[in-house]
Amino acid sequence: MRIGPTLNLPTTPFDYERCLQACARGDRGALQALYDQEGARLLGVAWRIARDHATAEDIVHDAFIRIWTRAASFDPARGSARGWVYSLTRHLALNFVRDTRREVVIDDVAMVDIAPYHDDMTLQADAPRIHRCLDQLDTAPRKCILHAYVDGCSHAEIARLLDTPLGTVKSWIKRSLKALRECMG
Amino acid sequence: MTKEPGNESADDLEQLAGEYVLGTLSAEQQDAVLKRLDSDRALRDAVDAWEQRLLGLNALATPLPPSPRLWQRINRSLGDRPARPSWWRRLGLWQGLAGAGLATSLLLALALLTAHPPVTTYLVVLVAPATQAPGWVVQARDAGQVQLIPLVKSEVPGDKVLQFWTKGEQWPEPISLGLIKPGEQVTVPLQRLPAVEPNQLFELTLENAGGSASGRPTGPVQFIGRAVKVL
Repeated sequence: MRIGPTLNLPTTPFDYERCLQACARGDRGALQALYDQEGARLLGVAWRIARDHATAEDIVHDAFIRIWTRAASFDPARGSARGWVYSLTRHLALNFVRDTRREVVIDDVAMVDIAPYHDDMTLQADAPRIHRCLDQLDTAPRKCILHAYVDGCSHAEIARLLDTPLGTVKSWIKRSLKALRECMG
Repeated sequence: MTKEPGNESADDLEQLAGEYVLGTLSAEQQDAVLKRLDSDRALRDAVDAWEQRLLGLNALATPLPPSPRLWQRINRSLGDRPARPSWWRRLGLWQGLAGAGLATSLLLALALLTAHPPVTTYLVVLVAPATQAPGWVVQARDAGQVQLIPLVKSEVPGDKVLQFWTKGEQWPEPISLGLIKPGEQVTVPLQRLPAVEPNQLFELTLENAGGSASGRPTGPVQFIGRAVKVL
């Protein structure tokens, strides 16, 4: 019996929870494995918010220091280990733009980046539920959620981007969150 | 969000948690939520649920290759202790486990088809990481011992030996079950080790004559697999 590569075996998924446990025990190799696995994606997430490569690398640097020092505090009952890593990195990036009042003005380039989401991601049968639920929102409220989460935009930045009154943006976000919660449970 | 902290309606709490995760709260509101998270269970649950709901949106950020210096910087910041090789860094280990999973299901299917099911409680198929070809089967019939059964005659260089290791999911490090002669069926007492558990890792590594001096696997993994409960 020989299992060849022609069977298209799925690759074994990275075990984030065990990785964090290993980090908590002081296994630097586990942290490096996590870096190899997620570093580029986390840098992409940080860059979308910081809009500057050096700053984004600073954020990922701080994120990995924090992952290392706080790995023992990760509680699987509160959510996935991978989610913990992403949340931690995103909040570092959000704090950064809040503290420094981002110099780079998010412009329509960001909108162009968001556009392909529609063609590529929602048509897949296995598209995550969030994308299917986002699809049920009107275009402008959906853009509010995406600019806030992916680009780290404030209410005011979104209002400027969409050329819409601040109050409207706030109520769109409020209603979108309610709709998403009802859609996703 | 003008209400007193802790006295919001369920809807307001969800909004606050949602905007916290979204990142649209002001710095003051953000700090206030952070301070409450330790003690306010309802708010923390709502935040955790929003983190999970929105996590998939990170896929919209295009990955960017970090500069080669970034990992060095992280490593330097953590101190100069070198990263020691661990299970996590083993090439082929994780691919091997996928093959082991499939091989195990094939064996289990076979076991179901036979008239007299064995009393085995755990079964592990050890596969070669590179080719995913099964090489050995581990059976655990009772808590005290495991049997290692060769499926093929493995070749081992003259100055090397095969060393048998196991590691439960919660164990800090693997434990040696001794040296194994290629192609020989052996029964290995588990002695003081806990009973075999689901997902427990078993592997055979190539070590210098006499076995690994460090007490941890150091040579390349020859065969690897995880325990599956049969009955």
